[in-house]
Amino acid sequence: MSAHTHTAHGSEELNYLNWKTGIWSWLTSTDHKRICFLYLFAIMIFFIGGGIAALLMRTELAFSGSQFIKDPHTYNVLFTMHGVFMIFLFVVPGIPATLGNFLIPLMIGAKDVAFPRLNLFSWYLYVVGALIGGYAMLHPVDTGWTFYAPYSTTTDTSVSLMVFAAFVLGFSSILTGLNFLVTIHQLRAPGMTWMRLPVFVWASYATAVIQTVATPVVGMTLLLVIAERTFGAGIFDPSKGGDPVLMEHLFWFYSHPVVYIMVLPAFGVVGEIIPVFSRKPLFGYKMVVISSMAIAAVGFIVWAHHMFVAGISDFSAKFFSIVTFLVAIPTAIKVFNWVSTMYKGSISFATPMLYAMAFVFLFMVAGTTGIYLAMLGVDVYYHDTYFVVAHFHYTIQGGAVIGLIAALHFWFPKMSGKMYNETVSKVAFAFLFLGFNLTFIPQFVLGMDGMPRRYYDYPAQYQTLHTISTIGAYLNGFGYMFALVNLLWTAKFGKVKAPRNPYNSVSLEWQTQSPPIHENFPETPVVDKDPYHYGTATHTHA
Amino acid sequence: MLGLLGEQGSEFAHKVDFANDIVTIISVICTVAIVGTMLYFAVIYRQRDGKDHETPMIEGNNTLEVIWTVFPTLVCIWVAWLGYDSFVDLRSPPADAMEINVTGRKWAWDFQYKNGKKTTSEIVVPVDQPVKLIMTSKDVLHSFFVPVMRTKMDVIPGRYTYEWFKPIKTGDFQVFCTEYCGNEHSKMLARLKVLPRAEFDRWLADDSEERKLAALKPSDLGKELYAGKQCISCHSLDGTPRVGPTWLKAFGREGELADGTKYKIDENYIRESILNPQAKTVKGYPAMGMPSYQGQLSDDEITGIIEFIKTVDGSQKIDVAPEAPKKSAAAAGATPVERGKAIVHDTGNLCITCHSIDGSKLVGPSFKGLWGRQEKLSDGSTVTVDAAYIKESIWKPTAKIVEGYGPVMPAMYEGKLTDENLNDVIEYLKTLQ
Amino acid sequence: MSTSAIVDHNVPPGEPPIIHHMDSNTAYGAAKLGMWLFLATEVLLFAVMFCSFAIMRYYHLAEFHDASHHLNLWAGALNTAILLFSSYTAAVAVTKAQQGDNKGVARNFGISVFCGFLFLMVKTFEYTGKAHHGMFPFVWNSHFYEYKNFLGIYYCMTGLHALHVIIGMVVMTLYGIRPALKNRFSGKYYTPVELSALYWHLVDLIWIYLFPLLYLVG
Repeated sequence: MSAHTHTAHGSEELNYLNWKTGIWSWLTSTDHKRICFLYLFAIMIFFIGGGIAALLMRTELAFSGSQFIKDPHTYNVLFTMHGVFMIFLFVVPGIPATLGNFLIPLMIGAKDVAFPRLNLFSWYLYVVGALIGGYAMLHPVDTGWTFYAPYSTTTDTSVSLMVFAAFVLGFSSILTGLNFLVTIHQLRAPGMTWMRLPVFVWASYATAVIQTVATPVVGMTLLLVIAERTFGAGIFDPSKGGDPVLMEHLFWFYSHPVVYIMVLPAFGVVGEIIPVFSRKPLFGYKMVVISSMAIAAVGFIVWAHHMFVAGISDFSAKFFSIVTFLVAIPTAIKVFNWVSTMYKGSISFATPMLYAMAFVFLFMVAGTTGIYLAMLGVDVYYHDTYFVVAHFHYTIQGGAVIGLIAALHFWFPKMSGKMYNETVSKVAFAFLFLGFNLTFIPQFVLGMDGMPRRYYDYPAQYQTLHTISTIGAYLNGFGYMFALVNLLWTAKFGKVKAPRNPYNSVSLEWQTQSPPIHENFPETPVVDKDPYHYGTATHTHA
Repeated sequence: MLGLLGEQGSEFAHKVDFANDIVTIISVICTVAIVGTMLYFAVIYRQRDGKDHETPMIEGNNTLEVIWTVFPTLVCIWVAWLGYDSFVDLRSPPADAMEINVTGRKWAWDFQYKNGKKTTSEIVVPVDQPVKLIMTSKDVLHSFFVPVMRTKMDVIPGRYTYEWFKPIKTGDFQVFCTEYCGNEHSKMLARLKVLPRAEFDRWLADDSEERKLAALKPSDLGKELYAGKQCISCHSLDGTPRVGPTWLKAFGREGELADGTKYKIDENYIRESILNPQAKTVKGYPAMGMPSYQGQLSDDEITGIIEFIKTVDGSQKIDVAPEAPKKSAAAAGATPVERGKAIVHDTGNLCITCHSIDGSKLVGPSFKGLWGRQEKLSDGSTVTVDAAYIKESIWKPTAKIVEGYGPVMPAMYEGKLTDENLNDVIEYLKTLQ
Repeated sequence: MSTSAIVDHNVPPGEPPIIHHMDSNTAYGAAKLGMWLFLATEVLLFAVMFCSFAIMRYYHLAEFHDASHHLNLWAGALNTAILLFSSYTAAVAVTKAQQGDNKGVARNFGISVFCGFLFLMVKTFEYTGKAHHGMFPFVWNSHFYEYKNFLGIYYCMTGLHALHVIIGMVVMTLYGIRPALKNRFSGKYYTPVELSALYWHLVDLIWIYLFPLLYLVG
């Protein structure tokens, strides 16, 4: 065993990063904070991989006609890779498994998650899933991340392996969600009542419910796809008496709620950042909490809005359209509450706050374009066009990924014990924000013009917008690289040590040292006030 | 209004565009208002000189919460209604719509008109005429998208979906496949040509090379199958009830199933009834009356039968029973076994439609090994198959029902087959051991 | 290994292992809640199967009707009885653990595991019998082609269930029988016994649904 236990020597104080050293001490660590880093490291590989696939696609699409990718199969493989990497390997584990792991125990005043070994096991499952998925890419899959039958059951690429990888990743996600649910239920510090939980914990709780409840459904569905391919179970393939629309239903029963797995924690992050930099309590804390849970609950009964033109009955289409609008309401409530929090605040503009404000804008766009897609007659037109592509990139990239980057900046001092470089971070933010909008606003217009998605080539009339979008994609990619390299660089070589509580936050995770010790708090904290007890004036009228 | 979706080609396009315009205006106003407010707050409440100023301890405001719960709810209701309203139009083809069969395959679109004319990658329709596309796929999922018509529908193997539009202007429009279907997905395009009525009629009646190559009219194919696949023995064309419901004016008919639910005869109902007859039983008809045609009819043939059923209005005359059995058997002047065989195998008598001679289970018990067999009846008793039993079963088919089978054999043989004929049949059955 | 920092097993028999980040009552509550949540995910896993079964049965009513007659009703009934009995012994094992009767735990779990073996043997006979008659769901098998959809879902459902039986047997052996032989359980500490039994009950419960659906309803 190569692990060594250090005692505090010199000026260096003991923390979770240095109390044991060596690669083996990381790979066998059950410390939730170290597991956060294990995940961060792993998901970033796939973020970069998926990003490269996206840039290759955008390069090919910059002009009408075949550019450097000579056959459509390669293009199809690229968008499948982009989807599978980004969804299953990056965004779904993205915030829950990284920040959830780091922050939930700290925020509720626990020493660790409820099942630390299970937590590490989840990470290994993730790695196994990722390796299988990577191996499957040697004989690359060309089905798109949705694996729709009967294409997925008949194409001669290694769909079975890829689908099995997704199953293993799903299992990892289930165990993580389960772990967090039990942690939040059982390990809250004395005085940490449910209504004193930070909204990030609430959002993670709602996320964990979805992870636990929705993921088994897709897991089984994917196993049935394997059964269909290996011995013709005859469940999804119509030529064997199966029903492809059943497969779509089962798939979206998971894959719609999964959108909330991605974005709910980002809501939580924004809910944490805005009060701190406004020096104000979070406006309407209760409504924010209720709306998180409402989104999680309603999210389960809206799946077939992905299928308005898939051959479901008109009655179901009408039902699913109406319930879909129910999601819009709690989402709107959240936005109103975030903005109101800034009212009469004392607002400073550190990088996390810029990201949070950008998030509000991007998510407004994502939300309002979602309304188009919930409207039956209008969705018939937009379904499977670039409008949908732009919409869900605003939700997932503008929502979940921006949320993740915001959080990585915000909690960077706590995680690494160093301060990031504000100027560089702000420049990266500018690239990222402009690049992102430049990529996807043209795609809304393309969708309005009827450009279908997953097209390797397109009629020349769409060329100008595609070219602009490609330029935006490069700027966006550059922005991400800039931001991440900046963080990585300062974590490694940064000179500015982070104080215990650089933002003067009242939340529990800032009350311990930066970075925290192995079991977080020297002694179990006792909580006696709200997580957003800001505001200095005595008058309380609104 | 805003013209965001481009050229409008169909009658309901303006409705979709109106809904789209309204939601665009609402979205822009909301986004500008909220982001504007946020930026306004950011500017006027900014921290000055790097020092925090005093902030109030505002934890929420119930009135505001109620307002911004109710307001988006109302907006959503209105917007949802706009979407709903346009969707209803999109899904309600008028009765006089011209029907075109569409088949998607990797990676092209095939179209077939009522008169049998076939085209590929080019669909031609007359202007101001509602057109209903009845679509299915040969392999994987596809989706038929005509942007100018504002309509789109997935095309699914093994079932029928439809979409319709009424072109309001002539022209040449783009059709896309919008459901990912493999390598040439992005090349799975078609042109929609909207022609003036007269020009369209000329095109449709065109007797060019293409036309000659075209196969049978789908409804004629169905007509052949009606006789050839023994549909005829159970389904009449003139309204008389046989073992199964008549096909007279059946398409679009509504009625009640045995379990009390309602049904309406459309493409998918017929397809299901052919491939999986037990799924729905019409009230008053036997539950296990029809054998499945799974594997016996191709998709094109099923489409043909559907097209034929659509045409049945009482004018068609195809009838069974060419008067032959006695003659052929007598003419044979052969042994009783040979005469019996001739009767059993005569298509006019339809015996082997439901009774196999090789032991496989069809609608009725197999003839193989029938003679002398102990049959368990549905009332629980047992009977040995002898001459009396066979005669009774032929003349009064519902007197004794073998367990596991339905009371579905038509009582049409009394008077048609004589006592002498039956003796011959029995002799023949004895040989099938 | 840093895992040892989480759970310290060097405690006298009958005492709960010392878990450094929570007290033993919390640990018991957490473990139980975790197990129930896990069982919920298992139910959802099978829910997909049940849902598919319902839809396939609707599409292929006659086929399902005929095909279910080809299943051996007696084998199914026997297996039901075996699993019900094994569930009973698993429940008894929990009571024994609470009473600190480690031998009783080992004995009763032993019977449950043995019942699991019996179940799998009967299942194997059924499978091989069907395979002998060519009743594969394989599309290239022409003989029972007419039952392909029923057999497809039949093999999927019973196969996945059999896998759960095997997992349940392993869990009972590793977390019930083995520690019981080392006298680890007492009225103060019996969490693994209770959780293993819970899991085994679920395996039983799923079969209770599978049996009538596949063998009786058809």
